[in-house]
Amino acid sequence: MHRKTNSFKNIPIAILIILVLLIFLFPIYWNIVTAFKYSDEILAYPPKLIPSNWTFFQFNKLLTVSNGVFIQFFINTVIITISTILLVLAVAIPSSFALAKLPFKGSRIVFILFLSIFMVPFQCLLVPLYSLLTKIRLYNTKFGLILIYSTFFMPFCIFMLKNAFAQLPNALFESAILDGASKRKIMISLFLPLSIPSIVSCIIYLFIETWNDFILAFMFTSSNEVRNIQVGIMNFGKQRFSSDWGIINSGTLIAIIPTIILFIILQKYYIQGMTSGAVKE
Amino acid sequence: MKKNNGLLFCLPAIILLGMFFIYPLFNVIIMSFQNWVVLGNNTFIGFNNYINTFQDKEFWQVLGNTLIYCLIVTPMIFIPALFFAVLLKKTNKLNALLRTGIFIPYAISLVASSYIWTWILNDTYGILNFILNQFGLINEGINWLGTTWSARFMISLSVAWKTMGFSMIIILAGLSSISSSIYEATSIDGSSKIRTFFSITLPLVKPTLMLALVLSIAGSFKGYDQFVIMTGGGPMRTTEPIIMYISKVAFDYYEMGRSAAVSVVFLIILLSISYYQIKLGEYDA
Repeated sequence: MHRKTNSFKNIPIAILIILVLLIFLFPIYWNIVTAFKYSDEILAYPPKLIPSNWTFFQFNKLLTVSNGVFIQFFINTVIITISTILLVLAVAIPSSFALAKLPFKGSRIVFILFLSIFMVPFQCLLVPLYSLLTKIRLYNTKFGLILIYSTFFMPFCIFMLKNAFAQLPNALFESAILDGASKRKIMISLFLPLSIPSIVSCIIYLFIETWNDFILAFMFTSSNEVRNIQVGIMNFGKQRFSSDWGIINSGTLIAIIPTIILFIILQKYYIQGMTSGAVKE
Repeated sequence: MKKNNGLLFCLPAIILLGMFFIYPLFNVIIMSFQNWVVLGNNTFIGFNNYINTFQDKEFWQVLGNTLIYCLIVTPMIFIPALFFAVLLKKTNKLNALLRTGIFIPYAISLVASSYIWTWILNDTYGILNFILNQFGLINEGINWLGTTWSARFMISLSVAWKTMGFSMIIILAGLSSISSSIYEATSIDGSSKIRTFFSITLPLVKPTLMLALVLSIAGSFKGYDQFVIMTGGGPMRTTEPIIMYISKVAFDYYEMGRSAAVSVVFLIILLSISYYQIKLGEYDA
């Protein structure tokens, strides 16, 4: 009885919350409609809440300017992001497996060293990283960026995957060893398939972090062949088209679509991963 | 048969860690005591870089800017995050939808969210000025990012908008770990909802709250992108954060050694924040 009256009371509250949510998401809506307006309508007064003519004009301008340099930024970002995901998985999966199931002398120290990256953000290491990259001739290269992203985004994945592997029973591992399977084979064909959710949350985490990075790409690149999409938008917005809000909004929209779509489809895994370290059971 | 090749499995990760984390970490400390030049011999100059930094007015100004930003943005993230977490605690379809909606801006990059807000806040064509004008609150367009305090507030607002969902999710995770029998007991007692919140919910989620708080404080100290896009550090350097100063000293003034010294000071500040994080974790367990 008590519960029923409560849920009735909640209807106006629910409407209020939805209204708040609509206001909350308005900035994204405003970005989308601005990107689909003609230039004169973008600057129209009073502003039009819905474009009177939807158009790809701004996107067309964005993608054709300077021989399609924006497409180059986009492709660079895709290459850097995918490579970082692959490299991190390639190094994090075996280390997590070893830390969880093949303890060796000093394995605890190794784990603590990995986690210490959480304590020292890369923002403190911009200068030595810059000097290192120039020394090994990886400044202004995609490969240099990929290596740095991989180093700093890897610990979170090791932390998450180690927990996932540790939860799988030791008996599973031991019986496979008795069957004569190699450790590498056990890892790939037995443990990996059982840890898909954790691997998916690693992939989303890596995708969002790498795709959205601005500071590292901004500091360690100097040419359009390497720059990522965030630096590209900043470059357009600050220098080339400083008050062309059509180009800025269409570029911004293209930059946010991949992460938002990925996030909406796979948010369950993402939230699981983000909160796995936050709350102790 | 007994041979354990665990270390071999870790080797690739250890190499990455050594090369791009441990080596730079040692190097930043060494560089901070050197007159460091890009090509040529680096000479040790003792504490000169630190002394010069502490004597630089701009250093104290950016430290102050960062602190002020932290003090503004933290409650702006935190209070709504706590409010929505408590409001959307129950798992049902509507709440799930709302949670997703609030969390969506977190997937957006800081560069993108900063441009989205810079456009909304534009003094001549921005929709915020138009709306305020319609309601008769202002007569002419306000240059939101042109004056110190309003720029600080607006940058904080855009960041709070982007990251509030993340804090909410962390707090939600803490709330969901509270057993429902505790709430049933209080509802039998007839305690009011507000009293239950302050006397039961808040103390029980305190460790999670503190974690979310420490994460957002550390995050605000590392702020950079939003300042570059929205104000470029202006007006009169009043929105210039530490990171912008570090990169300016290194790449505009070419004082690499001094930039390393500022980085070390900054690292010590962040480590003391993290120290509280660890202490809280122990307290929790």
